[in-house]
Amino acid sequence: MSPEVVPSSIATANAAALAVEVLEVVYTVRGIDRAVLRGVSFQVAPGEAYGLVGESGCGKSTTAYAAMRYLPRNGKIVGGHVLVNGNDVTGMSTDELRRFRARDASMVYQDPAQAMNPSVRIGNQLIESFTLLGQTKEQGAKSAVEALRRVRIADPERVMDRYPFQLSGGMQQRVVIAMALACDPKLLVLDEPTTGLDATVEAEVLDLVRVLREETNAAVLLIAHNLGIIRSLCDRVGVMYAGRIVEEGPSRQVFDDPQHPYTVGLLRSLPRKGVRKQERPLATIPGILPLIGGDLPTCVFLDRCPLADDLCRTQVPPVVPVGSEGNRFTRCHHVDRIPELVEAPPDVPIGILAPSAANPEVLELTHVSKTFRQRSISIPALVDVDLQLAEGETLGIVGESGSGKSTLAKAILGIESADEGSNVSLDGRQMSASTTSRSTADKRAMQMVFQNPDSALNRSWTVRRILMRTVEKLTGVKGTEANAKVEALAAHLRLTPRHLDLKPRQLSGGLKQRVAIARAFAGDPRIVVCDEPTSALDVSVQAAILNLLADLQAEERTSYVFITHDMGVVRYLADRIAVMYLGRIQEVGPTDDVFNGPNHPYTEALLSAIPSVDGEPTTRIRLQGEIPSPANPPSGCVFHPRCPRAIAGVCEVTEPPLAQVAPGHFMRCHIPIDELATMQRSTAAEAR
Amino acid sequence: MSDPNATNPHSEVVSTPAADELVSLTPAEIGMSGAVILGERQQARRENWRLIRRRPAFIVGVFIVLVWVVCAVFGQSIAPHHAFDEYTTGHLSPRAGYPFGTDEIGRDVLSRVIVGARDVLKVAPLGALLGVLLGVLLGMVMGYLGGWIDLVLSRIVEAFLALPVVLVALLAIATLGSGTWVVISVVAALFTPIVARTVRAAVIAERDLDYVTSAKLRGESSGFIMFREILPNVMGPIIVELTVRIGYAVFVVATLAFLGAGPQAPSPDWGRQVSDAYNSISAGIWWTTVFPAAAIASLVIAVNLIADSVQSVLEGS
Repeated sequence: MSPEVVPSSIATANAAALAVEVLEVVYTVRGIDRAVLRGVSFQVAPGEAYGLVGESGCGKSTTAYAAMRYLPRNGKIVGGHVLVNGNDVTGMSTDELRRFRARDASMVYQDPAQAMNPSVRIGNQLIESFTLLGQTKEQGAKSAVEALRRVRIADPERVMDRYPFQLSGGMQQRVVIAMALACDPKLLVLDEPTTGLDATVEAEVLDLVRVLREETNAAVLLIAHNLGIIRSLCDRVGVMYAGRIVEEGPSRQVFDDPQHPYTVGLLRSLPRKGVRKQERPLATIPGILPLIGGDLPTCVFLDRCPLADDLCRTQVPPVVPVGSEGNRFTRCHHVDRIPELVEAPPDVPIGILAPSAANPEVLELTHVSKTFRQRSISIPALVDVDLQLAEGETLGIVGESGSGKSTLAKAILGIESADEGSNVSLDGRQMSASTTSRSTADKRAMQMVFQNPDSALNRSWTVRRILMRTVEKLTGVKGTEANAKVEALAAHLRLTPRHLDLKPRQLSGGLKQRVAIARAFAGDPRIVVCDEPTSALDVSVQAAILNLLADLQAEERTSYVFITHDMGVVRYLADRIAVMYLGRIQEVGPTDDVFNGPNHPYTEALLSAIPSVDGEPTTRIRLQGEIPSPANPPSGCVFHPRCPRAIAGVCEVTEPPLAQVAPGHFMRCHIPIDELATMQRSTAAEAR
Repeated sequence: MSDPNATNPHSEVVSTPAADELVSLTPAEIGMSGAVILGERQQARRENWRLIRRRPAFIVGVFIVLVWVVCAVFGQSIAPHHAFDEYTTGHLSPRAGYPFGTDEIGRDVLSRVIVGARDVLKVAPLGALLGVLLGVLLGMVMGYLGGWIDLVLSRIVEAFLALPVVLVALLAIATLGSGTWVVISVVAALFTPIVARTVRAAVIAERDLDYVTSAKLRGESSGFIMFREILPNVMGPIIVELTVRIGYAVFVVATLAFLGAGPQAPSPDWGRQVSDAYNSISAGIWWTTVFPAAAIASLVIAVNLIADSVQSVLEGS
C-alpha cells in the first residue's frame, strides 16, 4: 500500500471545510489489524456537497465516521489526516474532540429514532443542544423554536411538547437535522439520511437538506447507496471501492460519463432509463468485494475488472486526470478502453414470454378486504381489491409503507385470512382463505420469496435440507428421487453442489436470496409472490437476482406478484403495475401506461419524488402532510388531503370508482383522463 | 498424480462471468458479505469457542466439577477411611490422618464428604434436566401458539413463581414423602416455569421470522415447526439455562436434604451432614458443618463459573 498524493481538486487543504488526506483506517478483529481504508483523499469546500457512493463494505461509512473520529472501538486511524476547517481531527485530545463535535461538525444517521432520547420531550432535547453551547435555558428555548422553523416544521411550539415516538419518521429526521444544525457546523455528515423513509417523505427531507445547505454554507458529506440521491444533492462525488476512491468528479459528469470500470459496472447494473426485461438483461459485476484487510497490492478492483491484465496485476494504477478542468480523476491503467465497457453489447435478451390477452388467467382476486382488529378499533388494511394475474405475467405492486402491499401478498397466500366475502381464485376456483386449510396442490401452486433472506432461511438448516424438505412436502417425492430433484433445482438456479451442504450464514446475500428463490420454485409453482426481494441487496447483486427471476419466468411460465418500492426495478420487471394507497388500488395498468401517463395524481407524485441517477428533468410534485392512519382514513377519495389536483367539493365527498381510462388501464380519480393529461403535460412543461 | 488439473489450486476460485456473484466461497470470503463487522461476527463466534477453553474461570470450574465427579464415581474406593465406620469416640478436630476431623460418633468427615458427592451429583443434574425439558416444552407451546393458550399458561406460571420455594418443597415432601424421585420432581417443578419463561421469550423472537411463514406455506404442522424448525435456533439460551439451573439445583437439593428430604441418616449426603451437625457449631465444633457446606459451595460456584463462560460465548459477552 503506497501512499500517494491526489491532485487537490477544488480548494487547498487549508481553505477546505473538510480535507481528508491519505486516510488509512484499520479494524482490529481478533488481534489482527485489517485495512478498511487504504489511503482515502478528498476535500469538501464550504457550502459544497460531496457524496460517497459504493456498495456495502467498501468503506463509505467508515470514512464518514473517521471524519468525526467516531470510529467503533476496534477501529483506528493508522495513517493520514482529517482536517476540518484547518484543524487536524486526527491529533485532537479528548477535550478538543468534544469541543470539536459540539461546535464544528455534526452528524445525521440513518435511523432518527436512535438519535433521540425516547423519554425526553423534543423541546428539551433541542434546548440541550443550545445550552451546551453556552446559552441560557431561555435563550435555548427561543433558539429551539427557531431551529424547528428552520427545518420547516409548521407548528414548532406544539412539536416541542411531543416525545419522539409521537412524530413520524420524516418529522423525526427533521428534528435530528435541526439538532445537528444547532451549532452552525462547518461540516455536516449525513449517513444514509433517508434510507428508512418513504419516497414522498424522502423527497421532502432531501429538498430540506438542499435548502439548508445554501442557508448555512456548511460543507456536506453525504453517504448514500442510492446514486439518484447523490446526483440530485451533491456537487461532486467520490466512488469508493475496497477502501479507496477509484473515481472522483462532478456528480453529473461521473454518472453520465463514468471513467472507471467499477463506476461503469455500478451504473450498468441499475435498471434505468426505462429499460424493460424484454429488451436486455441487466449487466452484473462478476465476483464479490474482497475481504477487509485482504492483500490488494495493486488495483483494488483487479479481481472483478473485465479490463484487468498483467499491467494491472503488477503496478498500482496511476491517478489519471479526466477532462481539462482538473476537477476529475480516475485510477485506472486503461482509461482509453473504458468506452469498450460502456458500449459493450448486453448479453442476449432472454426469450421473455410476451404477456398477451391470450394467456390464461391464473389468479383472480375479487372484493378482497382485510381488516385487522386492535382492541375495539378496526383497521382496514385492504379495501375491496380486485386484481387479475395471467400466466407468465408479472404484476408489480407499488406504494409507500402502510399502503397494504404486504397485506395483499399475505392475503393471496393465505398467511393472513382475508375477510368474509373476499374471493381469491386459482384457475377460476375459489381457494380457502387460510393456508392451513388449503390443499397441497393449492399450497404448491403459490410460493413466496421474502425481502430478507436472513429471516427467510432457517439458519440451523443446510441448504440441502431446506430444499429437500420443500420438495418432499410439496411434490410428494422422497429420498434419492427428491435429492436428485434438489440437485437439479440447485443447478438450475446456478448454485453449485458444494453450496448445498453449507448453512445460510456461510453464503453471501445474493446466494442466500438464490436459495430462497430455489425454495420457492421447488414445487413448480404457478405463482410466486416476491416481497421486495432485492431491497436488502447491493445493486450488482440485485441485477443478478432480477435477471434470474426474468429467466425463470421465461422458462417456467410462472406468474409473479412483485412487491417493491423501487420504481426502476418494477419498471424493468413488471408487465402491469398496481399502485396502492391506504389499502386501496388507485391505479392499475400496463407498465408503460402507468409510467408514461396520464397517470393517477398519486402515481405522478410518487414518480416525481424519486431522484434519478440520469438526472432527467422530473416534475417536482411534493405531497403535503403525512400518510394518514388506515384506522382513520379520510373521507371521499382517501388521497384527497394530500392531492395537489384535488377538486374541492367533490374529492372529499365521494370516493371515485376504479374506472377504465384506456384498454386495461384503470384509475380511481374524479378528474377526467383528458383533463388529467393536459394538467400533467403543463406541469412537465413548467419543470423544463 | 496423473491428472495435473485435478489438483489445480485455482480451480476453486476461477470466475466465470455467467456465474456472477456466486463464484468464490473460500472461508475467508464467507465472512465478507454485507456489512463488514456483521460478517466478521460469524467467524468470531467460532473463535470464541477456542477462547473459552482458555478462560481461567472455565478451567477452574471444570476442574472442581471433575474432582467431584471422580469422587461420585469412585466413592468409597478412593476415600481414605470407610464412610460409615466409627474410628474415634466422639469429635476430633482436623489432624493428620483425619484432615477434616471426625464427627460426633467418630466417622471420618473427609471420607463422608467424598462418598456424599454421589447423591447430589445424581439428583441435581437429573432434576435440572427434567425441569429444562418440561420448561422447553411449556415455553415452546406458550411462545409459538400464543393467544389465549399463552395467556392462561403465563398466568399459571406467574402464580407458581410467586410461591416461596421452601414452602413448595416442604409441602411436596410432606405429602409425597422424601424419596429421591420426589426430590428430583420438586427440583424439576421449581425450574419448569422459570425455564418456560426464558424459552417463551426466545421463541417469540423466532416465531415471526419468515422461515416460519415459509414452513407454513409448505404445510408443516405446528409440532414440526416448533421442534424441528425453531428449537435448533433457540438452543443457545436453552443450554445456558441448563448449566445455570444445574448450579441452582445443587443448592436446592442440598437445601432439601437439610430440611429432611432425600437421603436419610446415616447417609453422608452433604446437605444431610450439615443438617445433622449444625447444632454443634455453637459448641465450637465447626469442622463437621463447614467441610460439607464448603463442598456444596464449591460445586455451586464451579457450575456457575462454567455457566458464566458458556453464557458469554453463546450470548456474546
